[in-house]
Amino acid sequence: MREALEGSLAIARAVALTKPDVVAAYPITPQTHIVENISKLVADGDMHTEFVSVESEFSAASVVLGAAAAGARAYTASASQGILLMSEVMFNIAGLRVPLVMTIANRAVGGPLSIWNDQSDSMAVRDAGWIQLHCISNQEAVDTTIQAFRIAQETDLPVAVCMDGFVLTHTMEVIDIPSQDEVDAFLPPFEFAGALDTANPRSMGTLVDPNYFPEVRHSHHAAMGKALAKIEEIDEAFAEVIGRASGGLLTVDGPKKAKVGIIAMGSVVGTMMAGREHYGGEVGEARIVKLRSYRPFPAKALRAAVKGLDKVIVIDRAISPGMGGVLGTEVSAVLSTLDKAPKVFNYALGLGGRDIPETMYRDLLTTIEAKDAPRFAVFDADLEKLPPEDR
Amino acid sequence: MAKTDTSKRLNELRMKHGRPPASPSEPKAEKPDTLREAQPRFRGLESGHRACQGCGEALAARLVMESAGPDVMVANATGCLEVFTTPWPQSAWRVPWIHSLFENSAAVASGMEAAMKAKGKNTKILSFGGDGATYDIGFQSLSGMLERHHNVLYVTYDNEAYMNTGIQRSSSTPHAATTTTSPAGKERMGKRHLKKDLLSIIAAHHIPYAASASVAYPQDLQRKVRYAMGVEGPTFLVIHSPCPLGWRHDSALTIEVARRAVQCGLFPLVELERGALTNIMPIREPRPVRDYLELQGRFAHLFNEKDYRAQEELDHLQALADHNMDIYGLRGDGLDPVDSTGMSHVRRGGPLMEGR
Amino acid sequence: MTQITRGTWAEAGTSLDFKTGNWRSTQRPVHIHAKAPCHAACPAGEDQQAWFAELQLGHAEDAWRSLVAANPLPGVTGRVCPHPCESACNRVQLDGALAIHNVERWLGDEAVAQGWDYPVAAPADNAPVVAIVGAGPGGLSAAYHCVRLGMRAEIFEALPEAGGLLRSAIPPTRLPRAALDAELNRLLDLPGITLNLRQRLGRDISVDDLRERFSAVLLSPGCEMPKHWSVKGAVPADLHEGLALLRDFMDHGALPEAAKGDVIVHGGGNTAMDICRIMKRAGAKSVTLITASGLPGPNTAPDDLINVVPRELEEALEEGIEIIDHATVSRLIMKGSRVTGVEIVALKKEKGKDGRKRRVEFEGTERVISVDMVVPCVGEQVSPEAFEGLLDGAYFWPDNPHGRIGERVFAIGDARGSRGTVAAAIGDGRIAAEAVAAELAGEADPVTDARPEMGFDGLNTAYYAGSARVPVAKLPVPERTFDAEIEGGISRAEALAEAQRCLSCGNCLACDNCWTMCPDNAVIKTVEMASDGSHYVFDYDYCKGCGLCTEECPTGFIQSVPETS
Repeated sequence: MREALEGSLAIARAVALTKPDVVAAYPITPQTHIVENISKLVADGDMHTEFVSVESEFSAASVVLGAAAAGARAYTASASQGILLMSEVMFNIAGLRVPLVMTIANRAVGGPLSIWNDQSDSMAVRDAGWIQLHCISNQEAVDTTIQAFRIAQETDLPVAVCMDGFVLTHTMEVIDIPSQDEVDAFLPPFEFAGALDTANPRSMGTLVDPNYFPEVRHSHHAAMGKALAKIEEIDEAFAEVIGRASGGLLTVDGPKKAKVGIIAMGSVVGTMMAGREHYGGEVGEARIVKLRSYRPFPAKALRAAVKGLDKVIVIDRAISPGMGGVLGTEVSAVLSTLDKAPKVFNYALGLGGRDIPETMYRDLLTTIEAKDAPRFAVFDADLEKLPPEDR
Repeated sequence: MAKTDTSKRLNELRMKHGRPPASPSEPKAEKPDTLREAQPRFRGLESGHRACQGCGEALAARLVMESAGPDVMVANATGCLEVFTTPWPQSAWRVPWIHSLFENSAAVASGMEAAMKAKGKNTKILSFGGDGATYDIGFQSLSGMLERHHNVLYVTYDNEAYMNTGIQRSSSTPHAATTTTSPAGKERMGKRHLKKDLLSIIAAHHIPYAASASVAYPQDLQRKVRYAMGVEGPTFLVIHSPCPLGWRHDSALTIEVARRAVQCGLFPLVELERGALTNIMPIREPRPVRDYLELQGRFAHLFNEKDYRAQEELDHLQALADHNMDIYGLRGDGLDPVDSTGMSHVRRGGPLMEGR
Repeated sequence: MTQITRGTWAEAGTSLDFKTGNWRSTQRPVHIHAKAPCHAACPAGEDQQAWFAELQLGHAEDAWRSLVAANPLPGVTGRVCPHPCESACNRVQLDGALAIHNVERWLGDEAVAQGWDYPVAAPADNAPVVAIVGAGPGGLSAAYHCVRLGMRAEIFEALPEAGGLLRSAIPPTRLPRAALDAELNRLLDLPGITLNLRQRLGRDISVDDLRERFSAVLLSPGCEMPKHWSVKGAVPADLHEGLALLRDFMDHGALPEAAKGDVIVHGGGNTAMDICRIMKRAGAKSVTLITASGLPGPNTAPDDLINVVPRELEEALEEGIEIIDHATVSRLIMKGSRVTGVEIVALKKEKGKDGRKRRVEFEGTERVISVDMVVPCVGEQVSPEAFEGLLDGAYFWPDNPHGRIGERVFAIGDARGSRGTVAAAIGDGRIAAEAVAAELAGEADPVTDARPEMGFDGLNTAYYAGSARVPVAKLPVPERTFDAEIEGGISRAEALAEAQRCLSCGNCLACDNCWTMCPDNAVIKTVEMASDGSHYVFDYDYCKGCGLCTEECPTGFIQSVPETS
């Protein structure tokens, strides 16, 4: 049913459709509306789930870990500092191969304090071993959330669905929420072969010595590799039942003959598309690669996506101080194996919620035309605002 | 209907843990193959674990599992107990068990309990941690679990320091005890601070049941476990579990040391329901703290007669024990079969006061 | 190769694959049956701990059967024995020895009352027959044990009644004749025992004759002849020796006229004590015991203690007997051939140059007491007639524990020279019978119980509840007569309660401590009794040798021994 909904409410509705046994969450801006809406659904009897209102994100992650380990479909949501507080548990969840789903309402990480959107939080847990899917719209977030539960239980990996805080979570959109029947047809009941069971009392979370640890890590990495196909397959299955796909691993949009490409994750992709519409005539039409699966990283698909491009602009919504953009660095590494690798320009944009206007499309394309165009920059930083010695 | 399901389930569990059937198609309990399988108690924690010789924690956990199992699941914090029981690919546990992290066993247990609730199962969730995991790093998640009133029995095995990492002080380390991070020296007489009164803090959560127990009194310990198992809601048990390595006493003296801790008043055995003191183990003949301390190397500096500070600290510890005597009213009045002397007594065929 | 499970979970209980038993480096726990000190101290060889264990389970008949496996006369010894078992009892150091003596008597009486059968079978018709000389406690015990071991016994007794000194020298106030007869008759009624009365060795039969006719000869003649007594050569004309006086009194009920005055008894054993009390009861103005030994107290070494049943000593003092200890009679003061006084002098056992103890009189401590009668009671010896060639001085003095003094000839009881109690005679009877059985079977002499003894330090007393010894009723002094039994009995309930006080020293109490307290689950409880007699076995595959079970075993049954390869 198509309705105009705030992103957070839409996510709450989507989660409810997956019938999780246990939801645990701790409030943090900009995730709050999601858990508030779930609480309300539970309170109103529209969602039958054990809602555990924990005393910290750390416990939220621990509760869903325990619940899923005990054989329950489990969900949580957080952002920013909350993700960092969860991070120890996140590594643990993935390492124990416990399937569950979390929404990350992407927000900057302090200090200084910023409650506004960027993707520093999900980037900080890049190596936790979770599948990370990025959404450009609330519709995609809804669909991806539902898909995430199936991906998780078919891969024995936890899935984080990333959506930009405020930009998506607090924005009204007309969204098609699938029906319960459709979701039931798409999403089988929760199943976790490794779950704790009194009839088969296994021990989870053992101590693994150096004789086996590299193999454990290898298997995790291999599982991520195999998840690439699963993500695509499940997106297709979703499209079959519900009539709408969310973009598999990545989607390519724009002229085949384009010489310049833009690679980005999250809502900025939509901004770039709008910018291309307005300024494409002026600065040229770039090919836009919307990266949906950040982990596992679809290296092969990305190499195919940049075929024929001379230059690629990689937009980062986070920064690794002392190195530059994280996504940009990774894209450079992936493309370096190509015979004719495009030149990579990596720009961090919109950190801490700085507005990214459509004109940014024009500015980016113009900038890389210059001979001395920087290969990395915090692109929208106004250095005049800094004392000279700190520029 | 529900009753039939329960008994069927119990049968299943008995098959699984007590007397396994020869094959799945033959669900009749066979005569056990070995004496070990025929033991008239539930072996929740099996042999072959790597605990040190005379480990009080291993003993306490074994006793808890006997009384709690088999229809339980365990969330275990990082620590000795976790490490010595589950070096992959082996496990000493015979119930579903999970270790996640140091500071989250109460939260993991909360999730497991929520899962049981969601699935309509009655399996009780246990949460285990050492004193580090409980008094210190996992304190917050424990408090949360208690406040949310999860149906979880939390057991802390209190060996009064971070033993797994090599004997560092915790907030449970007694005053004046030496550890590797509270050594005695020219400027210090061991730990400067007091042992945290965790039980009072736990009781302040107004939970149905919180108690202390000691490995020196297994019957009392197991009675408390059984009582807690019957309570719907959060319950808490702190078990004094000597660590021969960390306390520096002979591995054979684990029980003796624990017994003296109770008998001198430094580790009172009490029960609190909804925050109110409902029961104590009276002390028949209080022993001087010296009797308890002198068995342990971690207090050896208190017996240096040339150090004027030693007597002061001994007197301080005695005063702390006396304080416990007063606030809990531990002093017994005459012969009592369940006091600190009577509870030990045996007769031919078993303890004199089985499960009182 | 072990393959990794997804998430690295492990299967339940798989730690059993890891044998922690190889961590044991220095010690391992073992079950060691030690002798309980009561058992070690018992001259009759009873294992009191064993029969108390049965009583702890409420099995009175089994307890009695266990008891009579060593001593067939518990109703007798339960009355007359000085019970060294109680002196040795480890419970002395807690809250008083067990009332072993009183429970033994209760068991003996209960067996008579209930008609419990002795655990013996009728010997085969062609079983070897053993001749036994003397139907005192030693001879009767020997006869019983012969039957128990499948032989027959033919007893030759000089007197018209069986019982020996039980009948002739122990007053009925200590051993009522009804109790004596009941137990004796049950024993003598056993199949395979023949009693020939009025058969005196040397007159009716001879050792050589017996040796020829029987498979073996056990000599239990007792000591009938008083040792010669004089003080520096002086002997009063009207000398009455103690044992003879006692026998006469028991036969005729009368004492000499002088016994109405002030009497001195010189000696220090049970007979001396009995004669003191009888004379006092018969109307002596005063009775004073002069003994070289010491009364219990700080001034007396254990080996210097007066050799009297403590209870008897206590009763004698109650009855007004005076005792001068660490003293001897140094001179008789005679008026004509009649004694009118004695000089006594203090003395004590002191170590001499050679390290051996001897009695030293202390010059200057002499004092004179006027008396009407002096009764020496310094012991008896074997009547030498008919034992020519077998005696070594006054006694047989066998050089081996079995009492063998010749081929198939054994000596039993007081006649051996080193004895002095009924219990010892009973023990001798058993040991000799066992040696005979072995000899006839062509086997070596049986070895005596070589188990170590469990001392108090080997126990963990934290596990024993305090409980006072059962109080035993005694006749008040004014009500004591010549034949009313002074000491009362105890009830079944009291006997069973007393049994619960037994610490089970050195033997498994089945208390579950080891099973409950093993951190490694390495103590396995068995449904059936394990072969070592406990209900537990150690699983050395997992035992780490921490020593905790050893420490917490109440009875010392678990001990740590060095780990060998």
